[in-house]
Amino acid sequence: MQHGYWIRSKPVYTSLAWQYRAQAHMVLAHGEAGRAVLRLYQQRLPEQPVSVLYLVGDEEADYTASLRALAGDCLLTFTKQEALWAAFNAALASACMGTRLYAAGNEAFLWQVSTLAASHGVLHADIMREQPASLARPVYCVHCKTITPHVTTNIAVCSGCQRHLFVRDHFSRRLGAYMGLMVDAEAPGEVPAAEEIYP
Amino acid sequence: MNNLAYKLETFRDDYTFRNSPDAIRRFPFPFDQDHYMYSVNIEPHKPGAPGSVFEHTFDIDEHYVAECADKALTLAQDKGRYAALPHMMDAQWDFLELTMESLARDYPDQFKLSKEGERWTWTNLPLGIEDSFIFGDASTLPMEPLEYMGRQVQGDFVLLDQREGTLFADAGFITSQADWSLAFDIGMAWHEWHGPVPQVEKMGVMERALKFLLSLQQGSPVRRLNWTMTINPRLDTSPEHYPQWGPDKLKVTAENAGRKAHLRVELQGLFRLPRSNAILFSIRCYLMSLEEMATYPRWIKRFHRVIRDLHPDLLEYKGIKVYHAPLMAWLAPHDDGEELPLGTQPE
Amino acid sequence: MSHLNVIVSAIADVAEGIRHFTLVDAAGRELPGFSGGSHVVVSMRAGARTYRNAYSLLSPPSDRSNYQIAVRLQENSRGGSRFMHEQVQVGTALEIAWPVNLFAISRVGRKHILVAGGIGITPFMSQAHDLLRTGANFELHYAFRSPRHAAFVDELRRLLGPRLKCYDQSQGQLLDPAALLSHQPLGTHVYVCGPGGMVDAVLDTAARLGWPDAHVHHEEFLAPPVGEPFAIRLAQSQRVVEVGAEESMLEAMEAAGVDVPYLCRGGACGRCELEVLATDGVLEHHDHYLSEDERRAGNKIMPCVSRAKCTFIELNL
Repeated sequence: MQHGYWIRSKPVYTSLAWQYRAQAHMVLAHGEAGRAVLRLYQQRLPEQPVSVLYLVGDEEADYTASLRALAGDCLLTFTKQEALWAAFNAALASACMGTRLYAAGNEAFLWQVSTLAASHGVLHADIMREQPASLARPVYCVHCKTITPHVTTNIAVCSGCQRHLFVRDHFSRRLGAYMGLMVDAEAPGEVPAAEEIYP
Repeated sequence: MNNLAYKLETFRDDYTFRNSPDAIRRFPFPFDQDHYMYSVNIEPHKPGAPGSVFEHTFDIDEHYVAECADKALTLAQDKGRYAALPHMMDAQWDFLELTMESLARDYPDQFKLSKEGERWTWTNLPLGIEDSFIFGDASTLPMEPLEYMGRQVQGDFVLLDQREGTLFADAGFITSQADWSLAFDIGMAWHEWHGPVPQVEKMGVMERALKFLLSLQQGSPVRRLNWTMTINPRLDTSPEHYPQWGPDKLKVTAENAGRKAHLRVELQGLFRLPRSNAILFSIRCYLMSLEEMATYPRWIKRFHRVIRDLHPDLLEYKGIKVYHAPLMAWLAPHDDGEELPLGTQPE
Repeated sequence: MSHLNVIVSAIADVAEGIRHFTLVDAAGRELPGFSGGSHVVVSMRAGARTYRNAYSLLSPPSDRSNYQIAVRLQENSRGGSRFMHEQVQVGTALEIAWPVNLFAISRVGRKHILVAGGIGITPFMSQAHDLLRTGANFELHYAFRSPRHAAFVDELRRLLGPRLKCYDQSQGQLLDPAALLSHQPLGTHVYVCGPGGMVDAVLDTAARLGWPDAHVHHEEFLAPPVGEPFAIRLAQSQRVVEVGAEESMLEAMEAAGVDVPYLCRGGACGRCELEVLATDGVLEHHDHYLSEDERRAGNKIMPCVSRAKCTFIELNL
C-alpha cells in the first residue's frame, strides 16, 4: 500500500479574488468560511451584480451580521443545507455564461458546490475555491462506500462498517472525499495509533 | 489458436489456476535486462509473432472461460466495478464495435459477427451467447455496450474522454485491477488518477505520456507492459476487497513462495476510437507463479536480480516489501550468477 | 504513420473559389469512422514535390462510403490548393492520413454555439451531423461575404432549419460576437472557425464577458508562410537539409527522407515539436502552440509552420 506520497489528485485551493472580466458574480460560503467572503469585500468591488449565498454553520462562527453590513441586499442566508442547494440550483438554471463562481467552505461543501454546478455544465476549473482554517477531511470507505465527515486524524473509524481506515492522500472531486483503506487488512488487529494531522 | 481448450479453474478460494507449458512459453515476460527502470516503453500495437500474446488485437487464451466466470462473480458482489458517465455512450459503442470486429476477425471459429445494416448478430461460442441488436440503440442489448463486451473479453477496460487538454477516465469495466478503485477514480483527469504513483517512478514520464496520448491516432494503436506481484493467482486485487487478499501477503514463506507468489504482467493497449474521439485503455492481466517461471532458468535468474535490486519506493508501491525476505530466500538459490544476454525471450 | 489510399469520385464547385471533392476507398472498402470536427491530411504529389494540406471532413460521420472535403483556392497558394483545383480530376488517386480530431465538441457541454466565417464552415458540417444525432442543444452562426461565397447554405438550411443563422455581409448583416455571447446559459461552449479577425473577435469578446477558457474553442489552420532559404543541420544524423523559400521545414525534411511526426500541419497540435540546439539567426514562430515563455527560451520549434531567418538552424534529430 502506498502511504503519504505527495499526490496530484489533492486539489490546490486559493484565496478568493474577484474576477473583473465577468457578467455577474455568485459567491457561496459555509460557516467559518464567511471570513473568506469578508476578505473578498476588502478588494475593489466589481461593477457587475453580485449575489452571496451563505450557509450558517452549526457550531462555527456566524458571520451573518458582518456580511449583511458589507453585502446588504446581495446576501441570502440559509440555515439548512437543502434550502441552500435548492436556491443555488435555481440560480444556476437562470445564470448566463460569464457568471463567475466563488466558493469557500470545508472540502465537502466545496465539492458539493462543484458537483451541483457541474450538472449545469460548469467545469471544475471554472470555480474559484477557498478552504478555511480546518483541514478536516471527508473520508470515503473503499470497502463499504460510506463517507465519514470531518476526519482530523490519519487513521479513523469508518462510520459505516467500523473498520479502521488509513486516510490516503488520494482525492475524488466527484465524491468530494479522500480514500480510506482498511489499515489492518494484512494483519487484523494491528492498528497503529492515530495522529491528529488534519486539525 | 483456433481449437482452444478452455481450462476449468478458479482465481479465488481454492485457486486452481495453472498455466500450461504453452501458456508459460508465450508469457509476456517484461524484463529485458537485470535491472528494472520505470519508462514509457510504448510501442505500436502491431500484430506480433504467431502464437504470441501480441498476435491479435485482443489476446484470448486458455484461461478465457474461467476468467469471464470470475468477472461475473466479482460484478455480482460489487456492481461498482462497472461505471459509465452519460456522455460516454458513443465511446461505449466504439468499444463494442472494436472488440466484436477484432474477435470475429482474429478467432473466426470462436466468435462470429454478422451485420445487416444496423442490425448486428453476435455469436460467442465459448460462452454460449448469441444476441441480435440494433447498433447504436442500447435498449436492444441486455446491458450497456461496455458492460456487455467487457464481460466477454479478458482484461479490464477504461474509456478516456479527451477535453480541456487532458484525458478523463469517464467509463470503465474493472474486475482484475492491481489495487485501484473505479468507483473512486471515475471521472478523474489524467494527473488525478495517477496521483498515487510515487515520484521516483514518474520523473516526468506522466507528462510525456499524456502529451503522446493526446495525439494518439486512429488506426495506430500502441501498447506497453507493466508489472507487479500478486500472492495467489487472484485477478480481483482491488482495494475494495483488500481485507480478503491483504492477509495472504503475510503467509508467504521461503518454502511456499514458488507456489504462492505470482508475477503479474499487464499488457496495456491504447486505441483512439472513431465516433467518440475517446481513447480505449485496455489492461490485460497475465499471471505466472515463480515455480512456473523457474521452468525457464533465464527468467527466474533475471527476476531474482530485478527484485533484489528494486528501489525501496517501488517495493513499497508494488506491495512487495512485507514478503521481500521470504521471496528472496526462495529466489536466490535459483540464480547461479550466470551472465544473461539482453532480451525477454525464455531461453 | 498509416495512410489510406483514396480515389476522387466526384468534384463540384460549391461557391466562388471553393471546390468540393468526394473521396472513396481505392479498394472499394468502407472508410474508417470519425467524429465531428475531424480533418484529414491530403498528400499531393506534384512532380518532385509533395504538398500535404489538412482539410476538414464534411460528410456525415455515420456514412463510411465516402469522405468529402472542400478546398478554397488560396490567392497566394504555395501549390497545395492550386494543385487540388487544377490538377485533380475524377479518378485521381490520392493518399490521405487517417482522420484526426483537434476540434471536438465538448461532450459535457450543455449548449453549443458554432460560429463560422467563409470556408471556416467546413469543420461544422460533420459536427452538425453529430450534434443532431445526439440530440444536443446547438446553433450554427454562418457569416459570408455574399451568397456567391456561401458554400453549403442550402444543405445546412435543410438539415438545421431554425438552428442556422446566416449573416450575409453584402446585405450589411454583421455577426456581433457580444450580442451572441452575452446571454448564453451557463454550461455553453462556443466554437469558432474562420478568418483570423473573426476568431480574434470571438475569443476577445468571450474573455471580456468572463467566459472561462475551457468553454471557448477555435480552429485556425495556418498555411506555412514563405521566407528566405536556410539550412537545417540534423545533429544526430549529421545531415544537412536545405529549406527553400516556398517550402516549410517539415516539407523540406520529408523531401529529404527524414521522418518527422506530425498531425495538423497547421501549428495547432504540437505533435511535430522539435528541439533547437543552435542557430546563427532568429526563430520565426508562426504556431498557436508554444507559450510566450517557450518562445523566449528559443529551444523549441514547430517545423510545420515556423522557420528561421538565418543561414542555419541545428535540430536535435
